[in-house]
Amino acid sequence: MTEVRNFDTSDSAMSFLMSLGGYVNPPAVTPLKGEAAHEVAVGPVHAGVIEPGHFRFQCMGEDVYNLQIFLGYQHRGVEEEIVKADGNLPRQLALAETCAGDTSIAAATAFSEIIEAITPLSVSATSLRLRSLLLELERIANHVGDLGALAGDVAFLPTASFCGRIRGEYLNMTALVCGNRFGRNAIVPGGTRCELPEEKRAKLLAWLRTVKKDLDAALKMMFESPTVCDRLDGTGIVPKAIAEEIGLVGVARRASVELNGDVLSRAIIRRLEIEEAHEKLFKLLEVRSVNDGSSPITHTSSFATVVATTQAWRGPLVHAAVFDAEKKMVGYKIVDPSAHNWQGLAYALRGEQISNFPICNKSFNLSYCGTDL
Amino acid sequence: MIKALIARLKQGFRTGTFPTKSGPNLPLDFRGRPVLDAEMTGEDIEKAQSVCPVKDALGFDLEGAKLDLGRCTFCGRCAEVCPKIRFTKEYRLGVFNRADLIVRAGEKSYEPPRQTNPEALALKHTFQLREVSAGGCAACELDANVLGTLAWDMGRFGIRFVASPRHADAIYLTGPISANMQLALDKTYAAAPEPKFLIAAGACAISGGLYQHGRLPATPALFIPGCPPHPATTLEALLRFTGRL
Repeated sequence: MTEVRNFDTSDSAMSFLMSLGGYVNPPAVTPLKGEAAHEVAVGPVHAGVIEPGHFRFQCMGEDVYNLQIFLGYQHRGVEEEIVKADGNLPRQLALAETCAGDTSIAAATAFSEIIEAITPLSVSATSLRLRSLLLELERIANHVGDLGALAGDVAFLPTASFCGRIRGEYLNMTALVCGNRFGRNAIVPGGTRCELPEEKRAKLLAWLRTVKKDLDAALKMMFESPTVCDRLDGTGIVPKAIAEEIGLVGVARRASVELNGDVLSRAIIRRLEIEEAHEKLFKLLEVRSVNDGSSPITHTSSFATVVATTQAWRGPLVHAAVFDAEKKMVGYKIVDPSAHNWQGLAYALRGEQISNFPICNKSFNLSYCGTDL
Repeated sequence: MIKALIARLKQGFRTGTFPTKSGPNLPLDFRGRPVLDAEMTGEDIEKAQSVCPVKDALGFDLEGAKLDLGRCTFCGRCAEVCPKIRFTKEYRLGVFNRADLIVRAGEKSYEPPRQTNPEALALKHTFQLREVSAGGCAACELDANVLGTLAWDMGRFGIRFVASPRHADAIYLTGPISANMQLALDKTYAAAPEPKFLIAAGACAISGGLYQHGRLPATPALFIPGCPPHPATTLEALLRFTGRL
């Protein structure tokens, strides 16, 4: 979905870009005082194979009184590089895709939509369908991986093991479509670089049906287990009012608004989104003909600020670019859904024990690199 | 408990047979090690460079055309505009010297290098890695994590990721080393006991890839190219590094 806005001066366009927001580190560690007060510092290098960030747990006795999250370790200047690479589409696209590796497909879609909005490039209905298909595969792969990891964190190993393998199946399905497990280089301005010929379509559909059965069994077991549900229920609550005040987006917002905002709610929403994504996938795959002759969708505009929003798996991913009168890119801004949600994670930990951090963290699973850029 | 057992029976044994009994199950459109036609000219290279997302991945010098696997993202665009470049299904990309990552035009055949370093060969049955993510996009981390799932189960070869550099034989580096991770990387590398190795996984860690490269704390002993490297590439490289393959 793209939106085009016109500004008179580049300053007003740039300030609009900045107003789209992002994560801001706490100014400094505010010391916590008192007899039972103590701090636990974690990171930037974590114990697992994950990205760097620094967490400061400020505790009163056993309970976390406040969690401060310091990010920026991954900052490598993606936005600046995209502007510098103007005129070199493959490079700009590769940069967009590496904002956050697990959201490559959504990022390539958003970037492509921006380029399509200012150039006379048209996108065929077939390409749009293929993009949706890849996006849904990305969504499922990530949700499955996270639900599995959540099961692992509460020592429910059957689902942890099954989901670890099943997530790989979805990545391999993505690779079947485009050759890369993360959907890299699949989406380009004007369409896609891959196609879905009949034999691939049939293979994908059959594969999806088999894997879906395994996945259903794995998730059913987890959600029907009283020990798992008891552990997740009521842990890491972000109430609806707080979620709205902080401005949470995506899965975390749905969990707080539609359910009661705890780890279990976020897990249920992910399972729900897995279901919805499968329905969409089956619908997309049941269309047999590849070239259905529907009219291509064209966007054009001469000079503007273009804002593209894609429903990435964590929530809305926003890319925005400012172009001058010669259609030269002069500014680029990315707002990953994570940027809005880190504050939610910090809130969820309040009053919890540190030992609840892994499951709270996993239920959000936010992107460090997507925030740091 | 009974439900878990039934589900376990239904799902069956899922650990892959790679690399002990079979080759990897690579996707149809997998892009592995590229080959360059012996006839490649400077003009061909320029044409390919015009669609390359990375700086200096392709080049031309006195010895002819060359492609740097340490920079390549394997996007395959160069092969689309220049038929003298072809991506093969060769997934065994890990090498022990930076110079071996340069693919030369007209290369006759390719055989991945064998380990001769006794200190690396000593790790054949136990190889503990400490991962440092330094400014990347996390795709390399995700596909390294995959090796721990039951589908790949690298633990059966004695390889695993450990929580502390104190317990590590090697530091497994991903990402271009952002300015803000330089200190943490240096300290983590310094904290690992001797003898230790540095593994550079992914184009970013090897050369900076799309980004500016930070300072490597040591010369890597193993380079695993890719953006990100396929799990089969990584597992094969790790096994060959310790002389198991």
